[in-house]
Amino acid sequence: MFIEVKSAKKQYGTGEAAVYALDGADLSIEKGKICVILGPSGSGKSTLLNMIGGLDSLDAGEITVDGQKITGLSKKELTAYRKQSVGFVFQFYNLIPDLTVEENVEVVAEIAEKPLYTDEILKALDIEKYRYRFPRELSGGQQQRVAIARAMVKNPKLLLCDELTGALDTRSSRSVLKFIEKVNAQYGTTTLIITHNEGIAGIADVVVRIRDGKIASYTENDHKLTADELEL
Amino acid sequence: MKLNKRYARSIKTDLSFYVSATVLTMVTLLMFYLFYIAGTGINKYGDDFFSKYKREDATFSTYAEIPDEKLSALETKYGVTLEKERFAATDEGDYRVRVFSPNEKIDLYEIQDGHAPEKDDEIIISAGYAAENNVKVGDRLKVNGKEYSVAGTFLRPDYLYMVENLTDDYKNVTTFFLAYMTPEEFKDSFGGGSINYKVIYGDDTDQVAFRKEINENYYMASYLSADSNMRITFVHEQADMFIMSSWFILVIFPLVTVALICILLGRRIRAEQKLIGTLSAMGYEKTKLMRHYSLFAAIPGVIGGLLTSVCALILSGPFGSLGLADYEPMKPQFTLPVWVAAAGVVVPTLIYWTAAMLRVRKLLKEDVVKLLAGQVGNDAKSRRILTRSKKKVGFKYAIRQLVGNPGRSFVIFLGIFLGAMITAFGYSFIDSVKAVGEQAHGEFGTFRYEYVLNTLEKGAPDGGEAMLILPFEDGDMRRFSLIGLDGDATLWNLKTTDGGKADIESGFYISTLCEAICGVHKGDEFTFRSIATLEEHTVKIDGVIRNGYQNYIVSSREKIAGIAGLDKENYNAILSSSSLDLEKDRVSETITDKSFETQMQNMLNAMSGLIYAFIGIGMIVCVASLYATVNTMLSENRHNISMLKVLGFENGRIHSMIISSNHLLLLPGIALGIAAAYGIMAWYCARFVEIEKLMIPATLKPFSIILTAVFTAVCYFASLLLLRRKVDKTNMVEALKDGRE
Repeated sequence: MFIEVKSAKKQYGTGEAAVYALDGADLSIEKGKICVILGPSGSGKSTLLNMIGGLDSLDAGEITVDGQKITGLSKKELTAYRKQSVGFVFQFYNLIPDLTVEENVEVVAEIAEKPLYTDEILKALDIEKYRYRFPRELSGGQQQRVAIARAMVKNPKLLLCDELTGALDTRSSRSVLKFIEKVNAQYGTTTLIITHNEGIAGIADVVVRIRDGKIASYTENDHKLTADELEL
Repeated sequence: MKLNKRYARSIKTDLSFYVSATVLTMVTLLMFYLFYIAGTGINKYGDDFFSKYKREDATFSTYAEIPDEKLSALETKYGVTLEKERFAATDEGDYRVRVFSPNEKIDLYEIQDGHAPEKDDEIIISAGYAAENNVKVGDRLKVNGKEYSVAGTFLRPDYLYMVENLTDDYKNVTTFFLAYMTPEEFKDSFGGGSINYKVIYGDDTDQVAFRKEINENYYMASYLSADSNMRITFVHEQADMFIMSSWFILVIFPLVTVALICILLGRRIRAEQKLIGTLSAMGYEKTKLMRHYSLFAAIPGVIGGLLTSVCALILSGPFGSLGLADYEPMKPQFTLPVWVAAAGVVVPTLIYWTAAMLRVRKLLKEDVVKLLAGQVGNDAKSRRILTRSKKKVGFKYAIRQLVGNPGRSFVIFLGIFLGAMITAFGYSFIDSVKAVGEQAHGEFGTFRYEYVLNTLEKGAPDGGEAMLILPFEDGDMRRFSLIGLDGDATLWNLKTTDGGKADIESGFYISTLCEAICGVHKGDEFTFRSIATLEEHTVKIDGVIRNGYQNYIVSSREKIAGIAGLDKENYNAILSSSSLDLEKDRVSETITDKSFETQMQNMLNAMSGLIYAFIGIGMIVCVASLYATVNTMLSENRHNISMLKVLGFENGRIHSMIISSNHLLLLPGIALGIAAAYGIMAWYCARFVEIEKLMIPATLKPFSIILTAVFTAVCYFASLLLLRRKVDKTNMVEALKDGRE
C-alpha cells in the first residue's frame, strides 16, 4: 500500500476539554489513486490529512507513506519528507502575496530535487498567461490553480488537498477538479482530497467516510465520474 | 465595551512588541533624565553654595599692598565687599599645596568632614584630593616641611573645579590640593604670604572706576572676574552643557524612537484591518474603534513613562553623580521635577495615542469590503519590482520586502543607524581626547618646564628663555594672554599655519585657540584691553600659530612690554628644556610638558563611566528597536512562514528569505551612523572651545570605526538570533488557519 494509517490517535486539549480528533483510525490507499475523504466538521479529516502530510504528529499509531514511516520522524526529517514527497493545496490557497504566479511556483521548484518545468506546469494548469500577475489580481479559481501548480511542480508522490473547492463557486470548483484529474492522470500522483462536499466523491477511486475520529466506511468507487459529470 | 477585554489577551499575544516598545521609550527618556537631572542638580547646588559661602565677583593682585584701613574706605566708597586673602604655595615633591589663611567675608569654606583647624598642627584640605588619594581625618600630611594632622576636608566656592593653574585645561586632584591652617600657624609658617584681593560688587558699583583707582594707587598685577574664572564658571557651564545635551537628546532620540514606535503601531493596526472592517460592518462607531486602538498604543507610553520616572527617582543619585566626576565632591540634591516626570509619561503616551488614532481613522476611510478582505496597503507599486527578472525568487522576495515596506525598512535602518551613531560617538569622544594629548606636545613647543614667576624680573633668565606673559581681554571680556618672547627664542612653538616661522620681532601672531575664541583672524585689526589698566590697544594680526590648547597672542618681548607699559627687559616666566633650580618664593606656578597629557588622561578617566554608559545605551537602543521591528516583520509574515514550512523549506532557509533583505540596510546604517556621530562630535568640540577653552580635534580612529561596526553588527545579528525561535516556533497548522488570502 502507498499510504497506510494504523490505529492513529490524536488528542487536543486535556482533562474535560480533551477532544479526540483521531481515535484509532485505520486506512490504506494504493499508489496513484484519488481518494476523497468525507466527513462533517470536526470529524478529524483535516487532522488525518495533516498527519499524513507531516504537519503534525500522532499521539499513538503509525503512518507509512511509500514505505517510509512518518511517525517518529524528527522535525528536520519531516521537513525533508514534505519537501520531497508531499504537495499541499488548501481551501484558501495560501499563496505568497508578494510573489507573482510564476514565482509562487518557482519558489518551490528551487528547493525541489527533481522539479517539473515551471512552464510545463503553468501550461498544464492553463495559467501561463497570468504568470506575471500577483495572487490578489486573480480570481479564487485561478488562485487555486496556481496553488495546484505550486504543489505539483516538485512532482510529489502525494498530493493532499484540504477543502480545495470550499471557497469556490461551482464553475471554478469544476475547473479546479478537472486539473486535479489531469495531474493525477498525467503524473500518476496519489491524491487525497478531504471535503464535506459529497458531490466531489464521484471523481474518487476510493471514498472514505470519517466520523468522530474513526474511519466509518471505505468504498471502492466502481462508477468513477469525470469532473464534468459531477453534480456539485 | 466588551471589546476592551481584548487588551490583556492582545498584550499577552504581542508581548515582545510591547516589551521592546516600552524598553525603547524607557531608554530614550532615561538618557534625557540622566543629563537633565545632573545639569539642574549641579546648577541649583552651585547657586546655593555660591550664595551661602559668599563667592567672589572678582579676584585681583597688586604690586603694592593695599593697607587694611584703605580697604574699608574703598568698601564704603564703591559699595563693595573687599577682603585681603593671604596664601602661600609649597611643593612637597609628590604633591603641591596652596595654603590659605581663612577669609572672613568672601570665598568662605564649608567643612565636608571633620572640623576646622583649631590647633597649630592641624590643617584641613580640599575634599577632592582627600577623596582621590583616600586621605582620612586624622591622617598626617607634610606641608612646607612640617607634619600636620588632617582635621577635616572642605569645599570653597572659587575652587569647585580644581584647576591648579588658570592656564590648565583640566582639574588636578591627584597632585595638588588646597589647605587651611590657623591664622597664627599660617603667619608663623609663611609670614604675610602672597596676597590676593577678593571683591563682591554692589548693585550700583562703578566697577571701571573701582579698578582704575586700584590700578592708579597700587598697580594692578592681575584681575580675574568670576565670569572668566574657570574654577567658578565651570560649575554652571558644564551643568548648562548637560542641560543642553538633555534637550538635544530629547529632540533627537525620543523623536526617532517615537517615530519608530509610531510606524510599528501603524503597521500593527493595519494588520488588524479585517477586524476593524468587521467591527465597522457590525456598526461599531468610528470614535469607539479609534479609542479602542489608541488605548492599545498608549500602553508603551504609560508603562514606559511611569517605569522611567520610577527608575529616575531611584537612580537620580547615581545618575547625577556621573555628571559630578569633574568637580570637587559636591553633594547636590538630584531630583526629578514632577513636571518633567509627568511630561515623560504624558508626551509619549499622547504621541502614541494620536498616531494610533490617526491610523485607525485613515483605515476607516477605506472601503469596508476592502478592509474585510485585508487588501488595504497591500497594493504598493513598489512591491511589483523585478516581476520579469530571472533572479532567484528568494532574492526578489527579499527586495520586495525591503522596498515594498518603506516604513518598516526605515525603522530597521533607524535602529542600526542609532546604534552605530551612539556607539561611534562614545568612541569618538575617547579618540578625540586622546588626540589632544598626542597633538599637544608638538603645538606647545620643545620646552619641558614653564616657570611662572611671582614678580616681574630683569636680567639673565637662569639658563632658560625669558617670557613675558600678561592677561588681557577683548571687548566681550574674553580673556587671553599676550606673550612676549625674544627674537632668538627656540623653545616656544612659533610655526605658523602657513608653514613658515612667526616673525615676532615685527608682528603679532594669534594661536588657533585664541582665533576661535575671539573670532579674530590673520589680517584683522584686533582691539583688546589690559585687565589692569583697562587701557585699549589695537594690533594687526600677522599670522596664526597652530595651538588649540593655549589662548594667546605672541610677539616680541619689547612690543608686549610696550603695550603693558613695562620695561622692555621685564619678564615674568622662564621656559626651559631642563629643570631649573629657582628659589621657591620666586615661582608661583610650574607647568611641565607632562601636565597637559596628565590632565587629558584624568579627564578621560573621569568621563569613562559616562562614555561606556552611552555606548551601552546605544547597543540597547539598537537591539530593542531591531527586535521590535523584526518581530513585527515576522508577525506580518507569519502566514508566509508557515506556508514555506508546509512546502518543505528548512527554518534556516525561511529565516534567510524573510529577514535577510534587511542585511542590505546594515552597511548603510552603520556608515551613516558613524558619519553622523563624527558630525555631532565636531559640533560638540566646537562647543568645547567656548566652554573649556580647549580645541579638541574631532577624531574617530579606524580601530574605533571597526569596533563600532562590529558592535552594531553583533547587536543586529543578536536581535535576529533572539527572533529566530519565532520562525522555529511558528505552528504551521494554526498559522494557515489564520491565512485567508
